Amino acid sequence: MEIREDRKDGVLVVAPVGRIDSNTSGELERRLLQHLAGGETRLIIDLQGVEYISSAGLRVLLLVTNRVRPLGGRLVLCAMGQSVREVFELAGFTTIFAIVGSRDLALARLAGPA
Amino acid sequence: MVEARRTLLVAGSPEGIRRAAGDLDAFAAVNRLPAAAVWPFQVVLDEMLSNIVHHGYEEQGGGSPIEVQLELGEGVLQLTIVDDAAPFDPLGAAAPDTTRPAEQRPVGGLGIFLVRKLMDDVEYERRDGRNRLVCRKRLPA
Repeated sequence: MEIREDRKDGVLVVAPVGRIDSNTSGELERRLLQHLAGGETRLIIDLQGVEYISSAGLRVLLLVTNRVRPLGGRLVLCAMGQSVREVFELAGFTTIFAIVGSRDLALARLAGPA
Repeated sequence: MVEARRTLLVAGSPEGIRRAAGDLDAFAAVNRLPAAAVWPFQVVLDEMLSNIVHHGYEEQGGGSPIEVQLELGEGVLQLTIVDDAAPFDPLGAAAPDTTRPAEQRPVGGLGIFLVRKLMDDVEYERRDGRNRLVCRKRLPA
């Protein structure tokens, strides 16, 4: 799975492309945990390019959000398509994450002094 | 509709799961099914195959190829998964508590829960020493 990365205003944006499933979620987990270990505290996961997500993907996002908060960090998810949104809603995950409609909104949310 | 039915033999490995996803995509493409119709089946396939491979087969040290059948007819897509791992009835599993905060969320059971919610119909039976799961969903008009 391609994982695109961008940095803006001190915020790291990670954008996986394709499907986040049992096959690809491991790679996403490794990448995100690597960033946390490297000291990233403001993270956006842009889901625009994600076709669908299965529970393997949800587990990775849950793991990352549970790691980021004790570190004093913040994570925002953005640009979910319909399929990703539906899975989040069914799993009751919409209450766990900060979710906004676009990357710009996510950046606005995390911008400014940490 | 061009291809009404396809049977896959899926190796019980991550590579097998990856190929099955590709085969489902190919079946959908041949039948010109839109992405909105296919993704729920991709998720269900991933959930069930992962369960079989990482729980069922791992515990018993392997298993025969998993049989996956795709059938399209009368506006309904049907997915049948047959495996010879230990008896496992996904319909018997308790639903996860989806109201607890992140730190208290259990991770088990979520996949099966999604399967039940994403499909219109899910039926399970244990037959001839194999688990047999049939999932159906009406395709969007």
